[in-house]
Amino acid sequence: MKKIQLLLLFVGFNLFAQKELPNLSLNNLDGKSVSLKTEFAEKDKIYIFSFWATWCTPCIQELDEMNDVQEEWKKSVNFEIVAIATDDSRTQKRVKPLINGKGWDFKVLLDTNQDFKRYLSIVNIPYTIVVKNQQIVHIQNGYVPGNENELLAKLKSL
Amino acid sequence: MKKVLFCLSILFSVGASAQEKEKLNFFGGFESNSQWYLKYTDLNVEHPKHPIRSNNYLFLNLKYKGWTAGIQGESYEDEALLNYNPKYNKTDVATYFVQYKNETVDLTAGYFYEQFGSGLLMRQWEDRQLGINNALRGGRIIFTPTKWFTLKGVYGRQRTGFDVTDSDIYGTDFEFGISDIFKMETTELSIGLSYVGRDEKMLTIPDPNFADRTDAYAGRINFAHKGYYASAEYDYKSKDAVVEKKEEVKNTFIKPGNALLVNMGYSKKGFGIDGTFRRLENMSFYSERAANKNQFNDRIMNFLPSLTKQQHYNLANIYVYQAQPGVNLADNTVLKAGEIGGQIDLFYNFKKGSALGGKHGTKLALNYADWHALGGDFYLPKKDYNTDYFGFGKRMFTEYNVEVTKKWNEKWQSMFSYINQYYNAKLIEETYGVVKTNVLAAEGTYKFTATRSIRIVGEHLWADTDKKNWAAATAEFNINPKFSVYGSDMYNYGNDDPEMQNHYYNVGGAFRRKSTRIALNYGRQRGGLVCVGGVCRYVPESSGISLSLNTTF
Repeated sequence: MKKIQLLLLFVGFNLFAQKELPNLSLNNLDGKSVSLKTEFAEKDKIYIFSFWATWCTPCIQELDEMNDVQEEWKKSVNFEIVAIATDDSRTQKRVKPLINGKGWDFKVLLDTNQDFKRYLSIVNIPYTIVVKNQQIVHIQNGYVPGNENELLAKLKSL
Repeated sequence: MKKVLFCLSILFSVGASAQEKEKLNFFGGFESNSQWYLKYTDLNVEHPKHPIRSNNYLFLNLKYKGWTAGIQGESYEDEALLNYNPKYNKTDVATYFVQYKNETVDLTAGYFYEQFGSGLLMRQWEDRQLGINNALRGGRIIFTPTKWFTLKGVYGRQRTGFDVTDSDIYGTDFEFGISDIFKMETTELSIGLSYVGRDEKMLTIPDPNFADRTDAYAGRINFAHKGYYASAEYDYKSKDAVVEKKEEVKNTFIKPGNALLVNMGYSKKGFGIDGTFRRLENMSFYSERAANKNQFNDRIMNFLPSLTKQQHYNLANIYVYQAQPGVNLADNTVLKAGEIGGQIDLFYNFKKGSALGGKHGTKLALNYADWHALGGDFYLPKKDYNTDYFGFGKRMFTEYNVEVTKKWNEKWQSMFSYINQYYNAKLIEETYGVVKTNVLAAEGTYKFTATRSIRIVGEHLWADTDKKNWAAATAEFNINPKFSVYGSDMYNYGNDDPEMQNHYYNVGGAFRRKSTRIALNYGRQRGGLVCVGGVCRYVPESSGISLSLNTTF
């Protein structure tokens, strides 16, 4: 019974949930601090934050795919992809060579102690959020091939 | 449970009443993992007393301008999943915090997660799959007066179960952005200094030969210039009682500890190489000494992951190296005072249109890792040692990895892996034997339509001893962007004992919509280590039905 109460409560939260980006700074690959609040604030521009890790194969599949299609997409939508590496210090050093090795063409930020991930209560990656005017307007939990087409349709509707 | 509901109601009503005001944000997440353990006679399974168990986490936050308040309730009913720390028991408030943050200061009271440098001295983090939540309860200040300087100060007591320890943890960390001070354009250079103190009075030892407070210091440097980068960290931990076995704090075996971590690499478009060296000597660090070597990673202070490739295939995760920071002089065949070794990674992209790249390109990833026990002179039965700084003792683990990813056309993509492992169980697990393995794995993804695809994986492991050969296969069918179903089997067909030639099959499905994911699984769990980020938890063999759900709001 109590569990049901709990569930009801949390359904209640859903009704007025509105999330904005945290006031958090993450390092980029050169070790420079980047503020989520000020760096990704261009009016009406869409930012796709994709949470991934070097050891997560579907994440890498997704980002490979996004890298292939982003030039094409940019013709119709004003957007930018930001890859948030949730790698902890075990695998973080692999991020830079992997990205260059892959030839990915987007901004990468390091969420070393997973503050950003924890703030958003992310349980599993890949996990993608779409942000417009600092508000999270769409969430995609997980990735299977083809999700990028859905995402593009969503971006066009924003 | 009542407490949680009470807090929820308060948060809820505050949130609801403040709805009209702008800028008030209410958000959080919910995760639930439940398992119904079934009885099977052919697996070596002891049927638990409470066969239905569930781990649940509800995290709620309220944000107004620079202020954020949060609370996490956790529920383990009737008990936590098998082999979780039994201190995770029933339902209660687990963590809470209030934080104020602006451009120069960040103040937190309550539970918080902090990491200094690479975490070799101190890291608090949460990993629900491993049952780790070692947050500190106390206060934290982060002060960033200019772009090139950050000061952190923390004080707290560490979370253990739904309680905190009796010991006190202090820490401070400075970081200087040298390249910002000197306005270097193309070079990044920063240095950092940390101090961590752990103050624990040992009531069981009336007149200890070591200080209550253990002091630990670290210095680090980080450098990047164009495609080149390098970093190093050195850590020192003051003299403290060595704990060879859990709960056995010895007043006669007192040693300091230290660590060195060096990383360097070079990368440019289509190519990357990275090398890491690490040496750990007596670096186990817990908020209570007696917790050293406990199997649940309870009260762990620092983050000492194994520096090897994090494997993605099932069979490559049977013989997993675990970092060996601690001391154990069990007898003349097991002499451990730490580890020394490293790994090298190489990534290469064969360009589209080249001979090996083909029309869509080919990606190559290589990894080599090699870890040894620290070499030196060991004195038994007196229990003492003198290590050589670059002394490579007995080999503990070696691994070669080759991984090739190839996109054939718009529909077909495949991946091939070869892994060769040397696993010294006697030294790593303190059991017996050395296992040598070869693993071959291949996987292919085929897209039927833009949103429908299938992924098929085949794996084989050859092992010369222990449980010997395994074969495994997985098929995953993504019906549409919302629904996936899968089936897999791992078969230990090579086991010398015909009774132990088990199948570990699993079938299940997952449903995803926006921020919600629900997965249902029926099958069998192989007993062994579940590892996330180089830290592992042992899980027993089991079979049953599991349901997991996570969502954010």
